[in-house]
Amino acid sequence: MKSARCLLQLQCLTLVGQSTRSAAQYGALLRAASSRRVFRHFHSGPARPKEQPIPAEFVNGDDKKRDRSLVAHDDLFERVAREVKTKATFNKVVDVFIKNDVRRRGHVEFIYAALKKMPEFGVERDLVVYNRLLDVFPKEVFVPRNFIQRMFNHYPRQQECGVQLLEQMENYGIMPNMETKVLLVQIFGEKGHPMRKFQRIMYWFPKFKHVNPFPVPKHLPEDPVDLARFSLTRIANDRDAKVTVHQLPCTDVTESGEQITLPHVVGIQSPSQVELLAKHNPNRPLFVEGPFPLWLRSKCVYYYVLRADPTPPEEKVEEPFDPERCLDYPLQLDLDLDRDLGDEESFDVEDLDEGPVFAMCMTGLGEQAVLNQWISGLQEDNPILGQVPTLFRLDAGPRELQGATDTESFHHHGPEPEYQKEERQPQEEPEVTLEEEPRTSQRMKR
Amino acid sequence: MIGEISIRHLLMHEYIGTEMSLPKMTRLPSVRLLSSIHQHHQMLPPSVTLLTAPRRAVSQGEYRRPGKPKEDRFPWQPINFSFSKGVQGIKKHFTLLKKEFSERWVGPEGKPVLEHMLEQNRVMWEFRGPESLDQWTVSSDHEIGGQSEAYLKLGKNNNTCFLYGTLSSTPPKDGETRYSGYCTMRSKRPQASFDRKKHYDWSSFNTLHLRVRGDGRPWMINIGAETYFSHQKDDIYNYFLYTRGGPYWQDVQIPFSKFFLTNRGRVQDDQHPLWLDKVNSIGFTLGDKADGPFQLEIDFIAVSKDYAHTEEFAYELYKKNPDV
Repeated sequence: MKSARCLLQLQCLTLVGQSTRSAAQYGALLRAASSRRVFRHFHSGPARPKEQPIPAEFVNGDDKKRDRSLVAHDDLFERVAREVKTKATFNKVVDVFIKNDVRRRGHVEFIYAALKKMPEFGVERDLVVYNRLLDVFPKEVFVPRNFIQRMFNHYPRQQECGVQLLEQMENYGIMPNMETKVLLVQIFGEKGHPMRKFQRIMYWFPKFKHVNPFPVPKHLPEDPVDLARFSLTRIANDRDAKVTVHQLPCTDVTESGEQITLPHVVGIQSPSQVELLAKHNPNRPLFVEGPFPLWLRSKCVYYYVLRADPTPPEEKVEEPFDPERCLDYPLQLDLDLDRDLGDEESFDVEDLDEGPVFAMCMTGLGEQAVLNQWISGLQEDNPILGQVPTLFRLDAGPRELQGATDTESFHHHGPEPEYQKEERQPQEEPEVTLEEEPRTSQRMKR
Repeated sequence: MIGEISIRHLLMHEYIGTEMSLPKMTRLPSVRLLSSIHQHHQMLPPSVTLLTAPRRAVSQGEYRRPGKPKEDRFPWQPINFSFSKGVQGIKKHFTLLKKEFSERWVGPEGKPVLEHMLEQNRVMWEFRGPESLDQWTVSSDHEIGGQSEAYLKLGKNNNTCFLYGTLSSTPPKDGETRYSGYCTMRSKRPQASFDRKKHYDWSSFNTLHLRVRGDGRPWMINIGAETYFSHQKDDIYNYFLYTRGGPYWQDVQIPFSKFFLTNRGRVQDDQHPLWLDKVNSIGFTLGDKADGPFQLEIDFIAVSKDYAHTEEFAYELYKKNPDV
């Protein structure tokens, strides 16, 4: 019976599985396995080592299996579902199945059911669990022994099941390890479909692992301030940008006993943005727009932007480059060289000027009062904010960045149809006088 | 083939999700799609809970996919036989024909020879008006009965295109589709006069240059090239487009040597570089498993010749799975 050999190999595997794997060990294991093939006892019974007693709650399931009645393997999982679903209970279920029958009757359905139930137990990203599940397959039974068996898709259902297991691993982005390879070789041989799939995973995954120029860590920070810090540095696109936490989240209890939760306010601004803001014309308003979505893996966070409309061409001032700003190389070259057709490196596209962005922020609560706090925090570095009218264009849902022409109404004037910016200027004048007071509310409430 | 890596899962490896099945979408303008995963399922043994679909009467005809609207009109009824449409068509085709004849006198593809040989940058698509949106087709898994939505409009200032919508990865309840939640935007195949098929010739370029502003989601760029054999019908060359998110525009340069070959969403074992002389269409697909709204703004798409890039192909060309 092959069962003795299978069990011996299983024990061997568990022993080896604890240490780090190497190609030499893997080779040695296989050689050991093949050498054992000589000692096949046809009629000997399975030599089972002393096993742990099966926990009482699963005894009924065992009885059912011995009755050989048709029972879906979901039952085992459903019985466990009444308890807390953890990795330990999942492993227990797999153990019960393994110990129940050395021939592993119905292992294909069991593995499919297990794969389906994995997300509920929270183990879908755990390689160890996948290896245990792969361990459920009986070893060496499905390995083709001659060219005819290799040609004709030996044990197609089991091969498909193995492929689906690997496919779920691929789905969750889990890299298989040496133990997976050894298991696959022992179960399906080196030329089966699961092995091919494993080879493909091992070829393509490492190639594309670091292909993202803006990588997001697998475990995002839980703390909202840290998360805001990470995402703001990501979108700032400037290494000199400085993150300032204007307010930490805290819960206050006022005298009347009410609980007030203060949301976090984290802002970012780079020195070039500070310069741009300093050069901004105080007569032109600034806009606080948002919330805009930013996706980090499967989590969406929202950020707000302080920007201005692009300066019209008549107001653009060409500032000469200060030659002392960079002493390593000249910033401006006045050469009279013509570029040939083949040396033209810029694209024939008109440049989009959407106006400068002066700062970004992320808060826990996107309300005007909270954003006011951000603006007041910014004012320490940018005194011009005290003189410039700041208008809030907050939308309930995520939107695109506004352009030069205002086609959307904003809270400021209530819901009005689109109109040009020039028309709005005279209407803004009364607000300008009101808002020139040092700070705080930059706009009138409706 | 059994056991091939799906491109949706490749994105997954880096990010959390990629149920992206559909390179096929970028090639075929037709509505009817079969996801590769779907086809793969047909080989799957049924999982434990068996749902038997109610049997249809023969009189109801072919199987209708869940997302496809019911067609109870005769096949000749949708055709619009109007005189004005005919006149417009004639005008359009004859102007194109005239242009083709006159362009030949100027040089290859309507440009002087020197310019055609030496040009280093060419802007292929820029979105400067509503007619530029007609060159693009937007589709989502709504066609197979899913709940994602995708829309295309012009961005602010009519200067950019804005692709937005919602993804939902609940698979349609047709008993065979397992993964869902994707959307795509692909360019229509260029057409000469009288709806003859044309293709782009990018043989003098080697880099794809894009200016995009995304929301941090990982997209995939699909390029469909002209093929000869029928089994190459769904061959698409893919590469990833990772967006940073944020208010700033992002310039992306991807050399064509990085594009890998897939067929129906499955990365192929025999890889070869993309042949640039007959490119049909380009497309953008989103299929990460994150449910929720998405948006992508594209300023322009251009091709350029980067003299510093000498790589011919980024992946190994030898036979990776020798025959059994």
